Amino acid sequence: MSNYLIAGFLGVFFGFSLNKAGLTKYHKIVDVFRFTDMAVLKFMMTALVVAMIGLYGLRGLGLIVFPSVPSTYIVGNVIGGLIFGIGMALTGY
Amino acid sequence: MKFILNYIRKEEWSPYVAGILLGVVGVLAVLLSNSLLGASGAFENIAGLIGKAVAPQAFDNMYFNFIMPPGITWGVILLVGVFFGGMLGAFSSGTFKWRLVSDDQWKKVFGPQVWKRWVLAFLGAIVLEYGAGIAGGCTSGLAISGGMLLAPAAFLFIGGMFASGILTAMVVYRKGY
Repeated sequence: MSNYLIAGFLGVFFGFSLNKAGLTKYHKIVDVFRFTDMAVLKFMMTALVVAMIGLYGLRGLGLIVFPSVPSTYIVGNVIGGLIFGIGMALTGY
Repeated sequence: MKFILNYIRKEEWSPYVAGILLGVVGVLAVLLSNSLLGASGAFENIAGLIGKAVAPQAFDNMYFNFIMPPGITWGVILLVGVFFGGMLGAFSSGTFKWRLVSDDQWKKVFGPQVWKRWVLAFLGAIVLEYGAGIAGGCTSGLAISGGMLLAPAAFLFIGGMFASGILTAMVVYRKGY
């Protein structure tokens, strides 16, 4: 139960950050593929760097154990990404 | 203090500031519930739930039994939170509004017809979700959550996503690219 509360709570902040970065808008998503507005990449890469530092730091201190890492199967990951990109550029989601 | 409140009310933050917030949320998800952020998986959990109720035989397969078991998972609740969080963001900047076609740029490219946006959004989302299903996640579940654990899968996915996204945008925008 408390796990669900955490999920809801974190979800609110997740959605809030997406909204404030403008990623809920069609033109923001498409414009990163046109190289006219790089907000999506700036947002993603900042989140990545912050989370990497936090997670590896906490693991170094022995406070967390990593959850199962998404599995790598090269062909699937790439083909999935290729299909995903088409949908993303068409819809702006 | 006033500065911070004013910043929260701004419609658009610097993507770096918003990115820091998401990064912290990503760390907290692991720290508090040993889970990874994600969106596409939740849709599959719900689809599985509906599918098992409506057509149990068709959904009695490897994918829905083991890889993406149906149910109200952590990710589903997260997604509900995302919906309200996005809404809260719009309310905080006073930009909340019901719209059938939300984006001016969309209208410029595809025309003002409402049905076009909805049909393309529906079909495009099917393509998107299908791709996410094959790859094992979406922008949040694989690219960001996997990337922050330095999973090679995440970076392969980002590469594929940008390659086809750029090509699709070129086709859609043609001369305007």
